[in-house]
Amino acid sequence: MTEETISQLKKSFSYGSRSDMNFKFLKDLTDEEVTKFFQELLWKLGDTLDDGNLQRIISHIYQYQQKGYVGTGRFKYETTAFTQVELQKDKMRFALIASTGHFVQGQDPKPFGVEDMTQNQAEERITDFLRLEPELTSIPTNTPPDQLKVRHGGYDVRGAIMDRNVNFPIDRLNELAADGIIGEFSSPAYSFVGACSQMRLQNHALPRWIEKLHNEEIHGLILVPV
Amino acid sequence: MSVGHVARAMEESGIATVVIASGVFSDRLRAMHLPRIVLTDFPMGRPLGAPNDHETQREVLLAALDMIDHTKQGGSIHIFNRDYCPWNL
Repeated sequence: MTEETISQLKKSFSYGSRSDMNFKFLKDLTDEEVTKFFQELLWKLGDTLDDGNLQRIISHIYQYQQKGYVGTGRFKYETTAFTQVELQKDKMRFALIASTGHFVQGQDPKPFGVEDMTQNQAEERITDFLRLEPELTSIPTNTPPDQLKVRHGGYDVRGAIMDRNVNFPIDRLNELAADGIIGEFSSPAYSFVGACSQMRLQNHALPRWIEKLHNEEIHGLILVPV
Repeated sequence: MSVGHVARAMEESGIATVVIASGVFSDRLRAMHLPRIVLTDFPMGRPLGAPNDHETQREVLLAALDMIDHTKQGGSIHIFNRDYCPWNL
């Protein structure tokens, strides 16, 4: 039996034999950092055995996820457009767009023409998704939880399956509208798979999405990346 | 990041935006110089808080909406300081 190296181990969590979207960041850490991650995790689990405090485990995972994504990435800009808001939020009409991969049951966007693609299949085809023009799915804001589906090859969707509001907060926005804190929450809300071609997003998809939101007379947009 | 490009383009078209993200992506989002960002100390995939933690989810949204009301210039970032508490329901 061949001995597995730390390098092979850490890569296996990123679309490999141990694929795990919560821990795919391990591949971007040094071997020493990965060793330290597991050693500290086990030590903290030992503490938790005695006091039951899971917060240290959550913080540990969060801090190492941050290490995995440290650095500015491919896109750097020095300036930004800025829209000065004229209305207060209780007079504004808000929309939601999240890059979460949600869709209404029976309206599967069928990426690559595949019927009922599973979460595992989406993870296996992540490099194909990264070449694809993103498709905006429309989700009425009164969609019952059991009618809303989520699939995305880039993150762990288990939290979103338990409660869509962890990254697609339509219930909380409906409540804020009902309480009069925002003027209106526009229906439908929108989702897309954020793991997509940035060129196709900017050159082809976004002009249509902008036109759509202007036609809906949206003043403010809540955006949620995952 | 896709949502960063959506924010920049929407804002250019005259729609005010606010991005709610896990602080895991802090470096990447800051580099995109977006108009308004709320960063939470929550794990990837759960930027508004733990499943069924309605109070925190609402507070995160209120922080984002507050930025819509009060932000005067682009590149503004609000750090939302609260523990991720799936058991504190």
